Amino acid sequence: MLSPERLALPDYEYLAQRHVLTYMEDAVCQLLENREDISQYGIARFFTEYFNSVCQGTHILFREFSFIQATPHNRASFLRAFWRCFRTVGKNGDLLTMKEYHCLLQLLCPDFPLELTQKAARIVLMDDAMDCLMSFSDFLFAFQIQFYYSEFLDSVAAIYQDLLSGKSPNTVIVPTSSSGQHRQRPALGEASMLEGVEASLFCQCLENLCDRHKYSCPPPALVKEILSSVQRLTFYGFLVALSKHHGINQALGALPDKGDLMHDPAMDEELERLLVQVPGLVNSVTATPEASCLPSRTPSRVGSPWRPLHHSRKVDAESDGSTEETDESET
Amino acid sequence: MAELPVPLPSATMAAVEKRRPAASTASFADSGRPSVSRAAAAAESEEDFLRQVGVTEMLRAALLKVLEARPEEPIAFLAHYFENMGLRSPTNGGAGEPPGQLLLQQQRLGRALWHLRLAHHSQRTAFNNNVSVAYDCLSASGRRKRPGLDGRTYSELLRRLCRDSAAPEEALAPLLRKIECREHEAVPLGVFRAGMLACFVLLEFVAQAGALFRLLENPALAVADRRVGQPLLNTLEGALSAGDGRPRARALTWRPVRAWGPTSLALAMDRAAAGRRPSSPMTRDEFLEKAAALFIAKVKPVS
Repeated sequence: MLSPERLALPDYEYLAQRHVLTYMEDAVCQLLENREDISQYGIARFFTEYFNSVCQGTHILFREFSFIQATPHNRASFLRAFWRCFRTVGKNGDLLTMKEYHCLLQLLCPDFPLELTQKAARIVLMDDAMDCLMSFSDFLFAFQIQFYYSEFLDSVAAIYQDLLSGKSPNTVIVPTSSSGQHRQRPALGEASMLEGVEASLFCQCLENLCDRHKYSCPPPALVKEILSSVQRLTFYGFLVALSKHHGINQALGALPDKGDLMHDPAMDEELERLLVQVPGLVNSVTATPEASCLPSRTPSRVGSPWRPLHHSRKVDAESDGSTEETDESET
Repeated sequence: MAELPVPLPSATMAAVEKRRPAASTASFADSGRPSVSRAAAAAESEEDFLRQVGVTEMLRAALLKVLEARPEEPIAFLAHYFENMGLRSPTNGGAGEPPGQLLLQQQRLGRALWHLRLAHHSQRTAFNNNVSVAYDCLSASGRRKRPGLDGRTYSELLRRLCRDSAAPEEALAPLLRKIECREHEAVPLGVFRAGMLACFVLLEFVAQAGALFRLLENPALAVADRRVGQPLLNTLEGALSAGDGRPRARALTWRPVRAWGPTSLALAMDRAAAGRRPSSPMTRDEFLEKAAALFIAKVKPVS
């Protein structure tokens, strides 16, 4: 019932670990933007609704990208919202292109960066052309890995490139690394004809990375499991394995198992309820699923009726300076 | 204790100040008013605004509570915290008529209960602080001339605490009889605190005893064998009298199980199972009542 670790942490660390200040700060920003509401409903009620929506994961709907990726909870909430809202696409068996999935993402987050969608699509499509069609579940699970572990994957990509070019990756990232890596070089030179990198060496580097990474990583034991089952692998081979690993999906906790992705009657009801609250989405999603890929109007207007969360104005003004803010709140 | 977290809210506010100008420019531009100078003024006044409407103070208090209780889910904790605050704020429930005396009393009780439950009783500093706050909000009734808590309110609070738990009423009633005060007696803070602590510890003790019982119980009949239950009660009693007098429910309940060891537990169960005639069964309520009675015997009555 009581976790001693939590109680032993210094105040700042406890608050940072759970991102309490990030949400308090955001609550104040929201409050300042909705001053008229406060005079009507009272401040306590405003905060109650704000923190309840954070708990339920609805707080990320129609918010700016910098906020959506600010905490692991926000990322998981966004993945869940994306799945909930567009599950019908998968249910109908429609295949969509990367651009079309990007439009769906922008319906929930107007300034969602195209780059992230492209990276996720590359996990599915590998060497195929980027305008190929993808199934909803393939895209969703690839997107999940790319979005949730974004910073981790960037570091992995750097390590992979170093290994591929025969450099010792640890000397690049941690200058004080041990010298035990030198003997690997000739082996790598020989192997350069083969595709990818040696799994065991890659695994070692990733273990180090997981130890010191300040963003979320997939559970190291599962990473090890993936890498120990093969001799060599490519970067995208690794990402595909991550995205298809149901243990990693479970650890992340945002989406159900692949088999349960489509049938969930309780969720259908929930979906109805959610869509009723978002008039802009009702027609495009329930009536004609194909229509969701052609929101030609500016997506930022879609969500405005959502009461405490309407944010379209702020998005327009802040979209470019958004990344620095996130870094602040992460620390 | 109060000094440490104080810089935090102001740090929050400072960060807010940094972020604000862009957003406020946008909102003013949107409503078609001249923006630049206004925006600067708005940024200035936002801090004042937050202070005037009480947001700064409210968040500072909330943050203090979070740090004091260190909840596992701080965001849910905050939602609950503000919800409770909203319920009791005068701006919320019809500002026109003042609520009746009875309703006020109920609200005060609810508030006190909420404060009492914010932190687990093993986090002694936080718990003691919350007990003091609960005491203050119960004794601060405007009608009476001198502040203080009467026995009736105190007993009512104890009964509410016990009613909300899953424990059987008969098991808890002896404690109430022992630590209740007379209706018009003034209850000093020390007595109030001791009473609350005894009540919380007993509730946890009974909950733990209930968990023990589930281990012994025959799931089909929802009873345990007396030949297993009774020795366990005896061991519980032994552990309670061996204790150093400080109430530590969890340790107390599980110690006998460890002392007994799995072997002797298995032996007792085996003996029970081997007996031809089934011995008289013991229900959960009976077990809990007896276990609670053992604990209550150790509680000093209010003098």
